[in-house]
Amino acid sequence: MEATVKTDFIGKEEHPTADKRTWIFTRPTAKTGIVSWLTTVDHKRIGMLYGISALFFFLVGGFEALLIRIQLAVPNNTFLSAQLYNEMFTMHATTMIFLAVMPLSAAFFNYMMPLQIGARDVAFPRLNGFAFWVFLAGAIILNVGWFVKSGAPDIGWFGYAPLTSTAYSNQFAGDMSTDLWIIGLQILGVSSIVGSLNFIVTIINMRAPGMTMMRLPVFTWMTLFTAFLIILSFPAITIALVELMMDRNFSTNFFEVSGGGLPVLWQHLFWVFGHPEVYILILPAMGIISEILPTFSRKPLFGYPIVVFSGATIGFLGFGVWSHHMFTTGMGTIATAAFALATMAIAVPTGVKIFNWIGTLWGGHLMMRTPMLFALGFVWMFMFGGFSGIMHAAAPADAQQQDSYFVVAHFHYVLIGGSIFALLAGIHYWFPLIFGRKVSEFWGKLSFWVIFVGFNVTFFPMHFLGLNGMPRRTFTYDGNMGWNSANMVATVGALVLGVGMFIYFAVMVYTYFRGEKSGRDPWDGRTLEWSIPHPPPEHNFDVTPNVHARDAFWYEKHHQAEIAREKAEQAKQDEAHGGIHMPSQSWFPIITAAGMLTGALFFTNHIMIGAIAGLAIVFVSAWLWSLEGPGGYHLHPGQDHPDDHSKSGAKH
Amino acid sequence: MSSHAGAGAIDHHHDPSTTTGIPNKKLFMWAFLASDCMFFGVLISTHLIYRLHPPAGTPDVKEVFSLELTSFSTFILLMSSLLMALAVNAIQKGNVKTTRTTLLGTIFFGLIFLGCQVYEFNHFVHAYDVTLSNSVFGSTFYVLTGTHGCHVAIGVLWLVLMYIRTFKPVHADSGQPWLIKSTAHLLVFTVSIVLTMYVLLGYVHVAEVDGLNFGTLGSFIGSQFLVIGATLVTYGILRWFARPPAQVEFGEQNAMDVEGMGLYWHFVDIVWIVIFTVVYLLEFI
Amino acid sequence: MSHSDRPFTKIHRIAATLLAAILVPLLGGWTQGPQSTFDTKGPVALSQLNLFYVTLWVTGIIFVLVAGVLTYATLKFKARTSADEHAEPPAQSHGNPLIELSLIAASVLALVVIAIPTLKAIWYTHDIPEDQQHLAYEVTATGYQWWFKFDYPAEQIDGVGTLSTANELVIPAGRPVRVNLRTVDVIHSFWVPKLAGKVDMIPNRGNFLWLQADEPGYFWGQCAEFCGESHAVMRFRVIALGEEDFANWVAAQKAAARTVDAPPPGTPIGTQLVSYEPMRPNAPGWTPEFDADPLASWTQLQEPADNEDAALIARGRQHFQEKACITCHTVRGHEGVGITGPELTHFGSRSTLAAGLLENTPRNLHRWLTAPNEVKPGNLMWFGRAMPGYMVRNAETGEWEQNFTVNDEEGHALVAYLNSLK
Repeated sequence: MEATVKTDFIGKEEHPTADKRTWIFTRPTAKTGIVSWLTTVDHKRIGMLYGISALFFFLVGGFEALLIRIQLAVPNNTFLSAQLYNEMFTMHATTMIFLAVMPLSAAFFNYMMPLQIGARDVAFPRLNGFAFWVFLAGAIILNVGWFVKSGAPDIGWFGYAPLTSTAYSNQFAGDMSTDLWIIGLQILGVSSIVGSLNFIVTIINMRAPGMTMMRLPVFTWMTLFTAFLIILSFPAITIALVELMMDRNFSTNFFEVSGGGLPVLWQHLFWVFGHPEVYILILPAMGIISEILPTFSRKPLFGYPIVVFSGATIGFLGFGVWSHHMFTTGMGTIATAAFALATMAIAVPTGVKIFNWIGTLWGGHLMMRTPMLFALGFVWMFMFGGFSGIMHAAAPADAQQQDSYFVVAHFHYVLIGGSIFALLAGIHYWFPLIFGRKVSEFWGKLSFWVIFVGFNVTFFPMHFLGLNGMPRRTFTYDGNMGWNSANMVATVGALVLGVGMFIYFAVMVYTYFRGEKSGRDPWDGRTLEWSIPHPPPEHNFDVTPNVHARDAFWYEKHHQAEIAREKAEQAKQDEAHGGIHMPSQSWFPIITAAGMLTGALFFTNHIMIGAIAGLAIVFVSAWLWSLEGPGGYHLHPGQDHPDDHSKSGAKH
Repeated sequence: MSSHAGAGAIDHHHDPSTTTGIPNKKLFMWAFLASDCMFFGVLISTHLIYRLHPPAGTPDVKEVFSLELTSFSTFILLMSSLLMALAVNAIQKGNVKTTRTTLLGTIFFGLIFLGCQVYEFNHFVHAYDVTLSNSVFGSTFYVLTGTHGCHVAIGVLWLVLMYIRTFKPVHADSGQPWLIKSTAHLLVFTVSIVLTMYVLLGYVHVAEVDGLNFGTLGSFIGSQFLVIGATLVTYGILRWFARPPAQVEFGEQNAMDVEGMGLYWHFVDIVWIVIFTVVYLLEFI
Repeated sequence: MSHSDRPFTKIHRIAATLLAAILVPLLGGWTQGPQSTFDTKGPVALSQLNLFYVTLWVTGIIFVLVAGVLTYATLKFKARTSADEHAEPPAQSHGNPLIELSLIAASVLALVVIAIPTLKAIWYTHDIPEDQQHLAYEVTATGYQWWFKFDYPAEQIDGVGTLSTANELVIPAGRPVRVNLRTVDVIHSFWVPKLAGKVDMIPNRGNFLWLQADEPGYFWGQCAEFCGESHAVMRFRVIALGEEDFANWVAAQKAAARTVDAPPPGTPIGTQLVSYEPMRPNAPGWTPEFDADPLASWTQLQEPADNEDAALIARGRQHFQEKACITCHTVRGHEGVGITGPELTHFGSRSTLAAGLLENTPRNLHRWLTAPNEVKPGNLMWFGRAMPGYMVRNAETGEWEQNFTVNDEEGHALVAYLNSLK
């Protein structure tokens, strides 16, 4: 059978040449302790690193949000200064989008996607580690502003030119906050693109035998679409940021008004990225929901092909609707009409998903566990966000809603009610798999209801605030505008939401240490990740799985005799190939990322020698990285010890 | 290579260890190039948008551009792509020697292209006063073609590293001696490139000012004696580095590495064709 | 109570809660306010509101249907007992193409219902309808960090040029008004919710919008695009007047600044100067008295006050020159010639100051003049851009240093002078 020889260790036998290796290329072998984390190439550990950093920044962003709500609780408040308030909402948005939701999705991509396709790692394990460390470098650069005199970035998360030009952001000597924002986002872009290229290759090329594309779990499909969206949309913002950086540092005229630059061009470039970005945030969430609903309904996803193709359609159309963020820029009637219609068109594949989720519930045995509650909460809240989205698509109505609190309500319904609810559902759902422990149902459900109520109390009134004429990004408002009670309600809601989040995370931490042991496959799962021990071993699968159906693990559970036979045969095959090939750890990903961090920090301080030194570190470590080779060692599950690690790291 | 590949020839179009049979590196490169397309797409769009809405003070582009020079450098880049394709072909047949010469040829042509670009930029700044900052045209033009130039430069660097790698002896693996030797090789190569560029561009400048004849050549050699000498010395050292080695590790199994680099190089070439068409040729229609 | 009653009361309770959730906001005035988009006063805003209602109805009906099915499915198929959960799994069905395709078709139809009025409204709101073009009145609004300048190209003043004013746009009621939108620095957005949705003021781009106030009235507006530190307090007013009132207003504005004859030198200041309590930063600047009938309150301000102190006014005019005010502000007919700040020729006739932020009372004006940065953080009167303001940047250290101050007494004199400029 041809498929069974498609394993990833053919032709990668090592030579016994470790004694010749120089100290520079000695591969770290620690499996525990700090070094093991800094040099890890294991997709599960990298996923955890992403997850932990993302949750940290999620709390930071949430804290910023609470400060914003406190400032707006009453009219004419002086809790925050205007400057600090502007920094707060800029960083709240930037943090939540780039440092919380995207990396949390990336955490699930990393951890779950290889397990779902029956792979032992991603296609380029070291590059995967690199993507994470670069992400962390970008996150640090974005937040450095809080600790220096110039302050954090204060130009809004879409940084409309010409407010970002030196003339308007350098009022105080040495204000580098905008430079930090530019460089930080560029570096995050590198991380996202590199990570996504890796996912694309992994999903296309590293599937287990029998795992055809139309058998991929929906979450993996959404990973693939998200990765494509990232590699095709991030170039737009990266180039726009390069142009802006040139304007600020080398006096070019891309967006410089006096030199004939067109600030509206920035908006086009930004939203050509920015709208696909919206789907980058929501498609992974839809993928998670499409895993949870079938599992807890105990039946397959309704209309799998339509869910997958609607995801593709959303991704494709997502590149053609960017100007609906710009209905008030005076685009003229034809362009406005075209983008309004395109935006309405994109509502169809989105609505289709909701129909299919309801179809999945229909006729099932719904087990109302915490992940299911979050998933149902997602469906409800995302529906609300979708409806206000349709209202925005009606361009003339949007002229009243654009840049008002109505928009704020809309995108929080989509991003909290949508993305965050799904990610919180995902954490609950996969917690037993990752840690082998199960969150208490009582506390889980309590946190869900507090979050759900708090969220709605916060954001529902904002629809009214917007339609009642309150613009967004305002640090103060007067008491005679009819906005007082709604703002107060929203602030109270935000505090409730904060309490809900606290319960959620406190319970998670408690469960990690003291939670009830879950045992294997606690939810009666349907996809491959549930077929392995909880927590999963480093090599994921003792035996390369053979996939026979869409819900691969469900099939295995219902065809046990056949699968057992097949596994025994496959195990022999694997052993005949020399065991399971595992990639070696490496120092170079983190060193390369450190070089980027150093160079970028010097560059924002206009110390060019330092910037060049940082670039040199990047170059040298990338070169050594390529010289050290992929390396690797073999594991023999069923036997006690893996191959001696000192022999590891040979180039094939 | 491995014991499992057996005695049979390597199939360069099918990798049995992947689901699709396409090698991971090749798929990665294709996906990256798709992304890179968007980078250039945005830069080219920016340039074209400002050409469609030229603000006051835009220089007369037809006068600034020299189609002869750019056609020449476009041709050179195309030829380098041909050599690159020959290199891939050679390594797929296991012919390391031909691979080396074709890689060197690609490097050489790539450098000529870069030299033309340096000359062009310099000429635009001094003869026509088109700078990065004094017009939108300057900004978009230099950043677009400069970004392309950076891609070519990175490609040249990659080619040089690949060229050096072809000398790696069998079983040297990543031992210290080879690391030191290859680092030295790279440094000399870099110095040699910089010196050559300096000398050639210097002479082009002299010839432009004082005319192209033996007199100017003589006085140029006289005044730049030390630099020219140093350049020749680096050639000698490079020749020494390239002396026929014992058995090398590099061979047919590295075809994928060369092919990936080739994909990149062809892509950069194609991007230039697009730039040449929409940035240069369109102005003259 | 019988068992069968329970679900009934439960449903009642849910319905009551839902009703309360909808009614409380409405009764609580969440749709009423000076910038409410529900309370439209002109055809453009009305067209936008009607379209909003179309989207609201269509999505509302879809919501009721989908939410109903979702609720039903959740309640009907919920596993209620542990036995339910461990029962044989349900049929592993994979979907029903016919249902899916018909749902897609249905959603496309629903969107067409929205799309048609959307297209109509796009063309209607974009520019003044053909048959009303001849009635159109044209003004130009220019955004500055953080205030608005309004020019009236139709009103030319001999030897001066276009009539220009700031922060209060006075328009004729019952006529379409075309507003050209310009900016001198960053992007701003012109938004008077009761009259029309917003359109951005973008550098190097000639935008415009049209609006019409059906009746005379006083309307609140605000910058709607983040434009820097004091974006939140960049506000303005639109005052619509009947034909005759508008003509009178234009005539008054065209006149040079009103001069209160200076008293003989040495005349003492007669007014007892009040000592104001210090105000905290960001303090409110509105009063319910003014808001009760804002148009009437505005009209009252058009006439000079009867208790003017000529000596104090003369002192203020002097300070206006000494404190560098004249380098940025124009007072046509007096000393002021600057153009980087708002035109002040008829400042006293405006109902607000600091770009619609504070009601034009002596106390608010005094505070604005003595401590500008507390009223509007980062403003250019304080920091200066073309000219140094209250503060000046030390060229060596890059730090800001005090350039001049306006003390309590000088503030009073300036207030008297500025308010005499009716």
